[in-house]
Amino acid sequence: MSVRISEYATRSREAIRDRPEVRTAVTGATVAFDEKRRRAYGEVDADSWRRWAEGVKNHLLTHLDDYLAEAEAQLEANGADVHWARDADEARQIVLALAARHSARSVVKGKSMLTEEVELNPALERAGIEVYETDLGEYILQLLDEPPSHIVGPAIHKTLEQVQHLFADRLETDPGGDPDELARAARDVLRDAFINADMGITGGNFLVAETGTVALIENEGNIRLTTSLPRVHVALVGIEKLLPRMSDLAGFLQLTARAATGQPIGCFVSLVQGPASAPGDDGPEEVHVVLVDNGRTDVLLHEHAWEALRCVRCGACLNTCPVYRQTGGHAYGWVYSGPIGSVLDPGLLGLHEAMPLPFASSLCGACFDACPVRIPIPELLLSWREEAQQKGLTPWKERAALAGLATAATRPPLYRAAARIGTRLGATRAARKLPMLSDWSNDRDLPRPSPHTFRQLWRQGIK
Amino acid sequence: MSGSATRDRPESRGDLGGARARILARVTRATATRGKLPHPGRLETPPAPDPATPPAPTTTFVKRFTSQCGEVATPDPDRSPRDWLTSFINGLGDEVNAIAIGADVPARLQPHPPDMPPADAGTAGGESPGQSRHAPAVAGPRNSPQPLHHAVPPEHAGVGISLAWGAVAETGSLILPSTGTRAVQLLPPVHIIWVPAGRVFARLEDALLELRAELPAGVGLHSGPSKSADIGQTVVTGVHGPGRCIAVLES
Repeated sequence: MSVRISEYATRSREAIRDRPEVRTAVTGATVAFDEKRRRAYGEVDADSWRRWAEGVKNHLLTHLDDYLAEAEAQLEANGADVHWARDADEARQIVLALAARHSARSVVKGKSMLTEEVELNPALERAGIEVYETDLGEYILQLLDEPPSHIVGPAIHKTLEQVQHLFADRLETDPGGDPDELARAARDVLRDAFINADMGITGGNFLVAETGTVALIENEGNIRLTTSLPRVHVALVGIEKLLPRMSDLAGFLQLTARAATGQPIGCFVSLVQGPASAPGDDGPEEVHVVLVDNGRTDVLLHEHAWEALRCVRCGACLNTCPVYRQTGGHAYGWVYSGPIGSVLDPGLLGLHEAMPLPFASSLCGACFDACPVRIPIPELLLSWREEAQQKGLTPWKERAALAGLATAATRPPLYRAAARIGTRLGATRAARKLPMLSDWSNDRDLPRPSPHTFRQLWRQGIK
Repeated sequence: MSGSATRDRPESRGDLGGARARILARVTRATATRGKLPHPGRLETPPAPDPATPPAPTTTFVKRFTSQCGEVATPDPDRSPRDWLTSFINGLGDEVNAIAIGADVPARLQPHPPDMPPADAGTAGGESPGQSRHAPAVAGPRNSPQPLHHAVPPEHAGVGISLAWGAVAETGSLILPSTGTRAVQLLPPVHIIWVPAGRVFARLEDALLELRAELPAGVGLHSGPSKSADIGQTVVTGVHGPGRCIAVLES
């Protein structure tokens, strides 16, 4: 999807003002996800699980070159083909070439944020290939030509009524159809798509280096079908998605499901090693794994941001975030939204492209407490803010205000004078007219400052 | 297609303009600037509520699997598995018009073909004429008018029958190898899975480590029926995969 992050302020305001149903739907869904996550964490020793997972990913990221080579060798030994893509364009070219080689007319897809990131669907469609998103939420959004708004529940911003309208219009369902009827209608369309597809395309939650296993988590069975029925399976996997060993996978499958939806494990997990080889296996004849960089090595090279590469895309930080809950994901303007988007997007796209996301947070810290791999999101937000300040990417008013504060704070007589003016002015309505404060004070009562400055009180001996 | 054939293709290394070397070089540069951090070892998953008398893996499996909307059936020990399964399927109701059977399900675990008497003692483990048609399921006749028959294409079957490699107690999961027929595991609305006796692992890690030695091309972990809450946050079952997932624990 195209990057619209710079419109964050306008789009978040519009979402809250013009589409109150989004806020209702998103808040309802995320509060429910968050409660399930808390309950599921409570059933295990979540603190040690999270520390363990953090440790595994840190080990992985500090040995990533070795594990990438091992994963490649294992996949090839299993009969799979491995491809490397530096950026979105290379990833698209690899998939398009595979589609052309197999004369693919029709493709079924499992939900994949990476394929959103590299804008794969438009490229396939331009090549005349029919693309079916098969996750129910993604299918709804494909009919609406909307991007996903949440990593795990792509259509949580849609209400039942909106889906009823859409399906009545496009699939001729009853306008008052219940979720069961609507799901059945989508299933019928997609069942034919599965059986007739020439190629299945998925992402990958994990890639186990030791065995060359692409692991995929889901609840509907659409990814199992996507990786099983078509003759060719292509998995796009970010290079940070590796895990060293099979025993690590056992922990990550459980922790990710608990963090994402509060389940002990996804209803379906697909472990893909390579093409079908045993007699009786009706699986794909070819399996291709595309290892995608697309900014990840930039993040890995960054002094602080590299820790965001531990992310397992569970969405727990979105669900618990008081800011995300107000607007949903679209306001953030790119694939990865919410707290993790605000620290990952500046690394993947460059800080300039991702402004003002590091500022779209109240720094309450709930995201860190929810994160299954303990990404220090609040600290990373602060370090991106600092970098933005240093690079002159913050608004001129703010920079001017901070420069003014710095001047005053290093000159005691100036500071004293300014503080005295502040205490008097703050008590009047004139404060509302100050250009720096109007955005903040328009919607709030400005607290009345003390009539005396701190220094005056100090001299008098404060009690 | 064999592994060596795929590797012989010139594009198999998928190395557009040296992408592989460039990516690996950047990764190496990044890891060189940072200390190598050690692996933390094994994750200790939680102990049983009462360590003195931990529940048997099978008990935990039943609890976890059913809490995820899976169903568990126990065969009648006084009947042969075939006889029991045949009556069980007949008891499922009218929607069961045809059965698809995974390629690795042994004859003794398959239901009787409709023309066979269900209570014939001689069929248990024996070679009856209908058995050779089980594999691969897609090779069978289409849309037979028979109320119950073997070897229909899975997309036309009301019931799929599979054999699990094993089950996992802590997650309530069935482990289904691709040496069975994947379409049988996924397409019919009702999925019945045999779990061989003694194959319920307490922990997922133990199961995956044993599986690692004989890892097939594909593995599915099924922990209950297909579910989605994508429409109005209401849970519906049977969205793409089976709407009923019935584990049969062999004793």
